[in-house]
Amino acid sequence: MKAAVIGAGAVGARLARQLVSTEQVDAVVLRDERASRLDAVTASLGAVSRSDRGGYADPVDAEVVVLAGPVGSHVQQARAFVGRNQHVVSTSDDLSEVRGLLDLDIEARERGVAVVVGAGFCPGLTCVLVAHAASRFDVVDEIHVAKAGTGGPACARQHHRALGHMAIDWREGGWIQRPPGSGRELCWFPDPIGAQDCYRAALPDARLLVPAFPGVRRVTSRVAATRRDRLTAGLPMLWPTHPEGGPGAVRIEVRGHRDRAHDVVVFGAIDRPAVAAGAVGAVAALWAVDRRLRRSGAGGLAELAEPGPFLGELARRGVRSAVFQGDAQPVA
Amino acid sequence: MRMIRKALAALAMAGLIAAVLRLRGTGGTPPQEGGWRELSGPELS
Repeated sequence: MKAAVIGAGAVGARLARQLVSTEQVDAVVLRDERASRLDAVTASLGAVSRSDRGGYADPVDAEVVVLAGPVGSHVQQARAFVGRNQHVVSTSDDLSEVRGLLDLDIEARERGVAVVVGAGFCPGLTCVLVAHAASRFDVVDEIHVAKAGTGGPACARQHHRALGHMAIDWREGGWIQRPPGSGRELCWFPDPIGAQDCYRAALPDARLLVPAFPGVRRVTSRVAATRRDRLTAGLPMLWPTHPEGGPGAVRIEVRGHRDRAHDVVVFGAIDRPAVAAGAVGAVAALWAVDRRLRRSGAGGLAELAEPGPFLGELARRGVRSAVFQGDAQPVA
Repeated sequence: MRMIRKALAALAMAGLIAAVLRLRGTGGTPPQEGGWRELSGPELS
């Protein structure tokens, strides 16, 4: 199997490492505009990988192309690669970009290829966790997603942008725009992240989850933020970002009915966001080529992946998920 | 004197609104007991 990774940043490099360590992968082609970064990452991956100086959307010899480059270019690249009958996996967590990628659904279905949208830590791992939690219910009423932490510098910039733009919530069959930085909620992530104040932001999770759960009444997503994050959300980033990010966490809460009784399931995970996103993107790429996804076309992992085996493969690669067993009270 | 009364009324009104907003806040209920357990075995199939 041949794969291409567009973008050799924190996520792209981890994703390529996951691919080269997979037995069935014969070659991984890496592209990045930063020549020195590209050479360094390629050299660290060994003989299976090679660098490519082509433009991001130029033709590449690969069955699947993973888009892990700068936000804002994924739709154009995905359209080009789908047009060449190649599977596409995007790690983008930009709301408008996710909308654009989902719009490729008809063309991707016609061509029999998959466009996996939001294959990262959040969205991505969160979508799979939601699908796994939903499988425990007869009817899913509400889905709430939260994340803490960022991957590399590009992820940190996206986090900053998201806190400055309108959020969307799904409520009773319709989309509602909400001000960014509103809706504070104390979310409890797995230790050592623990309790974090989380707020609404321009996050794509609801856009990816609603099509997967017809009839769901409420879908919300929030991101952990500090007072400084919220205060400076409307300004350019005023401080340098960490090259690799720190530890992060995700938490999903699904409320619904089982045997005519209300219940709540809470799943979470803790990892370095770039590492976890790399594993999720790599498994999505492998499943796309192996035709293990539920259908062709564009969609999130909640729609496309069988959650149990997907989480099992992630656990084998070191990304482990957890269930909260407490006394969270279901809403009547 | 009238100015002071107006200022005091404005402060009282602001305090009242802040109290209402704070009481109506939906900060979530922290878990009182329990904890996280790793998913494993048949839970991942």
